[in-house]
Amino acid sequence: MSLVLPGELVPAQHVNLKLGPGLLQSSSPSGESSTITTRAGELNHSPNGARWWIESNARRYVPAPQESVIGVVIARSGENWRVDIGAAHMANLDGLAFEGATKRNRPNLKVGSLLYARVSLAHKDMEPELECFDAQTRKAEGFGELKGGFVAHCSLKMCRLLLDPKHFLLSILGSRFPLETATGLNGRVWVNSKEAKHIIAVSRCIEAVDPDGRGMGEAELKKFLGTLDV
Amino acid sequence: MSSKALRPDGREAAVLREMSIVYERLDRVDGSAKFGFGETKALASVSGPIEVRPTLELPSQAALDIHIRPLASISGTDSKALSANLKGILSPALLLSHHPRTLVQIVGQALCGTDSGSGMGSVGRGWSASLIASLVNASSAALINTGSVPMRGIVCAVAVGRKASESGGTELLLDPSEAELPRLLGGGCFAFFFSAVLSSAPASDTPPCSLLWTNYTTNTPFDEAELERARDLAEAGVREVWKALKESVGTMDASQANIAPKAKKDLEAMEEGINAEDADESDDAKMEI
Repeated sequence: MSLVLPGELVPAQHVNLKLGPGLLQSSSPSGESSTITTRAGELNHSPNGARWWIESNARRYVPAPQESVIGVVIARSGENWRVDIGAAHMANLDGLAFEGATKRNRPNLKVGSLLYARVSLAHKDMEPELECFDAQTRKAEGFGELKGGFVAHCSLKMCRLLLDPKHFLLSILGSRFPLETATGLNGRVWVNSKEAKHIIAVSRCIEAVDPDGRGMGEAELKKFLGTLDV
Repeated sequence: MSSKALRPDGREAAVLREMSIVYERLDRVDGSAKFGFGETKALASVSGPIEVRPTLELPSQAALDIHIRPLASISGTDSKALSANLKGILSPALLLSHHPRTLVQIVGQALCGTDSGSGMGSVGRGWSASLIASLVNASSAALINTGSVPMRGIVCAVAVGRKASESGGTELLLDPSEAELPRLLGGGCFAFFFSAVLSSAPASDTPPCSLLWTNYTTNTPFDEAELERARDLAEAGVREVWKALKESVGTMDASQANIAPKAKKDLEAMEEGINAEDADESDDAKMEI
């Protein structure tokens, strides 16, 4: 584990090498391949040296397949919806990519509706595509329209932390009051609770723990939560 | 060159001023950084890859849009020329083909100014070589902070000044300060590209680097050997800049120790202002519901 800058050589050599975010393999004219870093951050690898990746923070989302995101419906174009997921391009959502949707029975989404969806296609030359169901089982699996609640914005590292079951934030908040969250990997977290003050507290705690914001630790957060009257 | 005569601030000829790199975490941009050689500071912010206007859109790569602003007033011809140069300097370092039909926007702001006036090549007026070097390094640091724009390597820059020595010849000075500028007979900014793609040979403690751009100009004619000496002096300097940038990677997160004292102060200020802010945010929450 070490900190790297872009353009550094990575000693990644393995017969079954898998490179994660921030790494690029290039081959020299002599046929030798080398791996360089393409972003700054912490270089990590699996114990056997087969998987390498860079852990870093960012604010701008770049879509990748199979990631769950939170988006806002911007417009309707024929059968499809155009959804803003915070990336450079609008994403396309097929009107039939919902559980139990048929030509006759389509979900009733309006401009401004909030969606929890999965990126089904992400290619640099094409617009990203979303789906709100599992293509194999055709079940919703929790995806679909999000009703009520509030969307908090955070850095991309913060949403990865929220998805980590061992992270302290959601378990501390969950022990104080009941809440619902949906975490998108595009830096948006949907929060819902019975009382408005609980929703506010959750979004303020996410801002406080965010490494791009104030980066509070567990003890500091508990103290902060004490000042919030929840 | 070998003279040990100290400069106004007590440095030797081949010593940089103290560098400062601060990740500002500006709101509404994807990355930002402030870089300074002593008092010569510049601020840069980066947004990208973002949605692009159809007029700027490129089908096979991301468009790079750079705006440079001087300390005072709006950007004039010299700033426009500098942003065109900066685009040429930064383009080789960015993997723009990874995000076609998008925009990467960089905004640079000078945080110090020398005498008024303009002219890119002239040292000491308007955009001095040291200020250009600060701006290049601030842009690189902001790109590192952004994280969403893939890079092949990074660009670091330093300035070299040329001064008449007491023995009658000329003397080269690394990173001339504001006080030294009026006495210089020329000089320029040297931008180097650091990347492992330049050669496969295992480097020492920094990756291989090559000269990307310079605006070295002098009042009197200079020969190839002098430019070579200036280049070597600059190369030793930029290696220090690269090391400083690498050390700064650890300070990007708020959880790091060096930002903690400031954060604590913020916390106290926040606690005082909490009631007012809470009222503000509950309005937003109600609107969302």
